[in-house]
Amino acid sequence: MNESPRTLYWLGLSCVGLIIAIYILFPVFWLFLASFKTQAELAQLPISFWPEAPSLEAYKALFSPTHQKGQLLDWPRLIGNSFFIAITSTILVVFFGTLAGYAFARLSFPGRDLILGGLLISRMFQGAALLLPTYRLMSMIGLQDNPIGLVLLYSAFGLPFATWIIASSLREIPRELEESAMMDGASRIQSMVMVVLPLATPALITAAMWHFVGAWSEFAFASILLESNENKTVTIGLASFVELFTLEFQFVGAAATIVALPIMLVFFFGQRYFTRGLLAGAVKG
Amino acid sequence: MILPVVVAVLAFVIGPTYNVATLSLTKIVMGQERGFGTLSNFSALTSDPVFWLVMKNTAIWILGGTLLCVCVGLGVGTFLAVDSKMTSVLRALILLPWVLPDVVTAMAWKWMLHGQVGIIGQTLESTGLTEEAISFLGDPDLVMWTLVVVLIWRKMPLVALILCAAIRSVPDDQMEAARMDGATAFERFRFVVIPNIAFSLTAVTVISMIWITAEFALPWIMTGGGPANASQIMATYIYQQSFEFFNWGVASAMSVINLVMLASIVGLYLYINRRSWASEASE
Repeated sequence: MNESPRTLYWLGLSCVGLIIAIYILFPVFWLFLASFKTQAELAQLPISFWPEAPSLEAYKALFSPTHQKGQLLDWPRLIGNSFFIAITSTILVVFFGTLAGYAFARLSFPGRDLILGGLLISRMFQGAALLLPTYRLMSMIGLQDNPIGLVLLYSAFGLPFATWIIASSLREIPRELEESAMMDGASRIQSMVMVVLPLATPALITAAMWHFVGAWSEFAFASILLESNENKTVTIGLASFVELFTLEFQFVGAAATIVALPIMLVFFFGQRYFTRGLLAGAVKG
Repeated sequence: MILPVVVAVLAFVIGPTYNVATLSLTKIVMGQERGFGTLSNFSALTSDPVFWLVMKNTAIWILGGTLLCVCVGLGVGTFLAVDSKMTSVLRALILLPWVLPDVVTAMAWKWMLHGQVGIIGQTLESTGLTEEAISFLGDPDLVMWTLVVVLIWRKMPLVALILCAAIRSVPDDQMEAARMDGATAFERFRFVVIPNIAFSLTAVTVISMIWITAEFALPWIMTGGGPANASQIMATYIYQQSFEFFNWGVASAMSVINLVMLASIVGLYLYINRRSWASEASE
């Protein structure tokens, strides 16, 4: 008697869940499938869902030297550039974010809350409006078309959020732990490094992951600041396909897969840190 | 210890903001800056016929995008708040659109929406819903709303997740009491859940608005503002005027308008948050 409405309920629930899952995953999956298709297959109608004869040609072409002539870009180099920029700026952000986070959590100085609040608000003002002045600033200090310029820029944009995540996690660590370490003769820096930071590791990982993902994905500032082909990043390389290939989506699919891969890896292995950072970030912008 | 952070923010956020504000008041002739203290950039902007189109599109983008984002997010979030294995898997999965690079999102959708070989147009045609495959990004009447749909895909998951967390923290005894009083599922949602999540709902609306205002790469890569400026929004217009036409006066005037808009949304956000802090303190 009670069985059938219950079954119906679960069936309905599963259907909605399935629709949401398809809705979320399909666009990415579809682009991924395209990377294994051939040119002829992509242009044919009706559209074939699975690749008829999966091939790795698009990936080979992307990485082969013959494909770098003219306008096409050197993908191994782009990947190297992106890794350099994302990793270097992540290291800077975590290092300076930890210093500042510690100061905000432990020391009291005039205007502390005001500065912390100001940092958080500054994070909301990053967008198209700052493109032009940033470009002018970078050409003024000679860091235009230089990956170092982007490293500095991304670090500056990422620091407020990292500082905030780290500061709020340090605040939850009892002061007594540090104080007892200092009583045993450790200096402030020693107790910070040996006692406090190991406990704050989850926050450091959260900050590092979010920063890496953001820096790896960034498009707008990279596109205005990097001019020569050997300095460009993967997102610029992928975006340049807009004009280059109109129907050759196998290359777009392959390149998009390469751009998405590190993010997917970070995402799947760092799931809980992501949710943490996202919810934290949402509350304070 | 906080010095590097403060210096970085001053140099790359406050500095440029100040710079673009002064630039918007400077007359620029042939790339040379001539004379400060003029509103000619703003008057040039308002007499630009594209400007009003940009304002209209930006309104669709920000208001339409935010509204849909919150509505869809509330629906999905309510669903995700149900306890089951499936929803817990979905709760983890749903962040994917949020962490993928803009460029990848733009490319995936651009291809799905392609006029000839796009799967969405083809599916609609083969199921007989439309007579021929629609070119979603090529049709000036459709393009703006198409972009909004992609924007929802990208930004909604976060809204859903936050609202899901808020719904899950609604006290059980209130729900139980409502159920005892014979409230239907809809009534429980309307009179118990909504008042409980009202603060999260307002906060998430304003935050979405800030994020959508700042979003640039998605519309730029998908349409570049085209066809014929039909999907030109503030962000893409600033980019185009600055780096394709080198029309720095107009670009900086537009940037200032954009910053003022952002500042008012941020102000609204601070105002809402202040009230919540006050209520926390009085409790």
